[in-house]
Amino acid sequence: MTDINQRLQKLKAEGKTVIGCFPLYPPLELFFAMDLVPVVLWGLRGEVGSTLQSDKHLQSYTCSVARHLTEFVLTKGLDLLDGVFMYNACDTLRNLPEILETGLSQGNARLPLIKIHIPMVRPDQTDASGYFKNEIRRLIRALEAEFNVSFSGDKFVDAAEKINRVRQLMALAEQKVAEGSLSFLSFCQIIHECGFSSIDEQTRILESLVAQQTDPPLSGNGQRPGVILSGILPPPASVINDMESAGLRVVGNDIASLGRTYAGAPAVIEDPEAYLLDFYHHHYPCPTLLYTGDRRAALLMEMAQKTRARGVIFVGEKFCEYEYFEFPYLKKRLNQMGVKTLELEISVEEDAHTAGHRSRIEAFAEMLATTS
Amino acid sequence: MAAFEKTESGKRLSRYMADAYLNLHTRAQQGAFVVWIAINVPAELFLGFDNVVYGVPESHAAMNAGKGLGVVQCEKAERLGYSMDLCSYARIDIGCVADGGKDSPSFGLPRPDLLVSNNNNCSLLVKWFDVHHREMGVPHFIIDVPFCYEPQQQKDRAYIVSQFKDLIKTIETMSGQRFDMDKARQAVAHTSEGVAHWKRFLGFAKNRPSGITAFDSFVQMAPFLIARGTESFAAHYRLLADETGQRVAEGRFPVPSEKYRLFWDNIAPWHQLRDMSAGLEALGANIVGATYTSCIGSIEGSFDIYPYDGGDPLEFCARTQNCYICPHGLGLRSRAMRQAVESLQIDGIVFASNRSCKPYSITQLDQQRLMQDAFGVPAVMVEVDHADARKYSREATFTRIEALLEAIDARRAA
Ligand code: SF4
Ligand code: SF4
Repeated sequence: MTDINQRLQKLKAEGKTVIGCFPLYPPLELFFAMDLVPVVLWGLRGEVGSTLQSDKHLQSYTCSVARHLTEFVLTKGLDLLDGVFMYNACDTLRNLPEILETGLSQGNARLPLIKIHIPMVRPDQTDASGYFKNEIRRLIRALEAEFNVSFSGDKFVDAAEKINRVRQLMALAEQKVAEGSLSFLSFCQIIHECGFSSIDEQTRILESLVAQQTDPPLSGNGQRPGVILSGILPPPASVINDMESAGLRVVGNDIASLGRTYAGAPAVIEDPEAYLLDFYHHHYPCPTLLYTGDRRAALLMEMAQKTRARGVIFVGEKFCEYEYFEFPYLKKRLNQMGVKTLELEISVEEDAHTAGHRSRIEAFAEMLATTS
Repeated sequence: MAAFEKTESGKRLSRYMADAYLNLHTRAQQGAFVVWIAINVPAELFLGFDNVVYGVPESHAAMNAGKGLGVVQCEKAERLGYSMDLCSYARIDIGCVADGGKDSPSFGLPRPDLLVSNNNNCSLLVKWFDVHHREMGVPHFIIDVPFCYEPQQQKDRAYIVSQFKDLIKTIETMSGQRFDMDKARQAVAHTSEGVAHWKRFLGFAKNRPSGITAFDSFVQMAPFLIARGTESFAAHYRLLADETGQRVAEGRFPVPSEKYRLFWDNIAPWHQLRDMSAGLEALGANIVGATYTSCIGSIEGSFDIYPYDGGDPLEFCARTQNCYICPHGLGLRSRAMRQAVESLQIDGIVFASNRSCKPYSITQLDQQRLMQDAFGVPAVMVEVDHADARKYSREATFTRIEALLEAIDARRAA
């Protein structure tokens, strides 16, 4: 696992102002344009080790994403972060700002916490653009006041172009996974590292990965059944290893912290309000963006068709209602088009279930291998 | 009078509910435009139309759970692939819809023409209604309410009002009916009048011994969910408050030997009302109040009534978006709870950690600490799923409640 702590320490040593963000789609461009480094607080299982502090605040029926995020902020936030930013998402996350504040205040410490509300209405139902733009203006003012930085349109254009380049590079790297010249596990690790790096560092890491002279695709790569992974986070390394050992090839992903993050990039303009409105309105569908629900099944089916995936593996984040409400319908639609599905459930205590996952993955791979 | 004795108000409530569901089905059959709504959607707006009726899946689910049908309905949804970890109301509703209302005491709800969710209740409701939207091919209108960590801001209120206006336009277009603001105003006034009587009813908990149990108030909430905005609604609560006042005046109390006055935090344990009520009475304990019932008719941060002044009904409905299931932040909730603890002279708090309802439950650990450590009120955490009886252990719950009573005794002795 990459050492996120070290990356954050390095950023701090370089004098950067680091803002921990959640959930997964914060307006990164805006932070970078204001000389702040946003880091999305996801996939922190390996960084926190336990959930001892978090367990004092969150019940055991809270998803691992929230529990690890809480543990990270409570135990390392004061050292590694300069502030926290959040926008509205699920019923768990909406309670975290006050929980984090309460948890941190028990040690008499304070981490600035800035919140905005992203409208969740369907754009064809209610025009929330005025409300949204005001929220972006509020955010800019709050960042300026809290961190003594300023916004400029030129810098915003520069940051947006760089972010879009990063998104394109991530998509190219994903292609290498499908071709069999990069393991999905390495891909996940690299994307994760990028999430905790400056924008220039991200570009450097990804350009070198994409340009890398890789080995030719594994022999028989084309025969290995292609699967799409869908979920909030990629599965833990042990589960990815099981998939790859079972002969499965990840030909696409509908993972919130991966593909859904880099799938789209709006046309760059100087106006952050209009740019970000476009970004959120046309964002790749994700259950956390409530207004994108209608587009989701169609896009997943289209991905299955384009990549000729034989199966979709749903990586269920235990206790994430957003994801679990959609699985039955998505499975039904995929099965109707002849795509097989498997549902795995990942929890905080994931290690206890690894053996069970392995046998199910092997059985699924065997089934896919025998279906043409 | 023993706890859970069927009072006149209780009998009237049963008739009222039966009539309301019958009326809903009848009007739907006769061509009324049918909307399914989340609890926090302002039902009064539908009374601004001549022929729009609404059903509330959450309330229907609670009724199923109360009649002991929660598990049967949940299992139907689980067989369709819905996880047992999802909210039990949602599972009951999805299961019930899947087989056309079989097993439901009201034969389910009539098929909707429009679904209106509200992410202030909880945002999973949007996903839940999306299930129906896809399976039934019915349009789904999402009301997006910014979460309150502080008292609601004007910018957020204006945004909510704009959505109400779009909802009205949507119904006008779909149903071909015209919205009448004066009728909506009248409906809000009826609700507000009912709320005033409701608060009067809850106020009898201040009596020692209390004139009510929280269990009475849980049961009596039903009209709030399915009959707001009507004259009969206001009349029902007037009679309820009057009759309760009469019983108190006559010295008839649900737990006459009340030794411990408790407060409940979370949704009602619908499948356990009788058993829990009787079990507590045997211990000399009465849950005299609950956040779930107290937040009705209030705004965030207080349980006091937020009165309607006859002004713009849309503004009023937007301002009172936090008045069901306490959907707002920890600080505001704690403030209101503390007031209630003082005004009702509460000895201890029962936090019901409910894995089916994260919006209500997450923050309870911090709130419990706050109440215990900062305000010195003994508190206990029990595990109760509001509608899925499989996720409830009577033994574990009562062991903890007994420990709470011991803590109260120890505090009194000290
Ligand atoms: S995984 Fe699901 S439940 Fe957990 S924080 Fe993300 S959206 Fe919320
Ligand atoms: S999660 Fe809670 S608020 Fe949401 S529908 Fe279920 S019981 Fe109601």
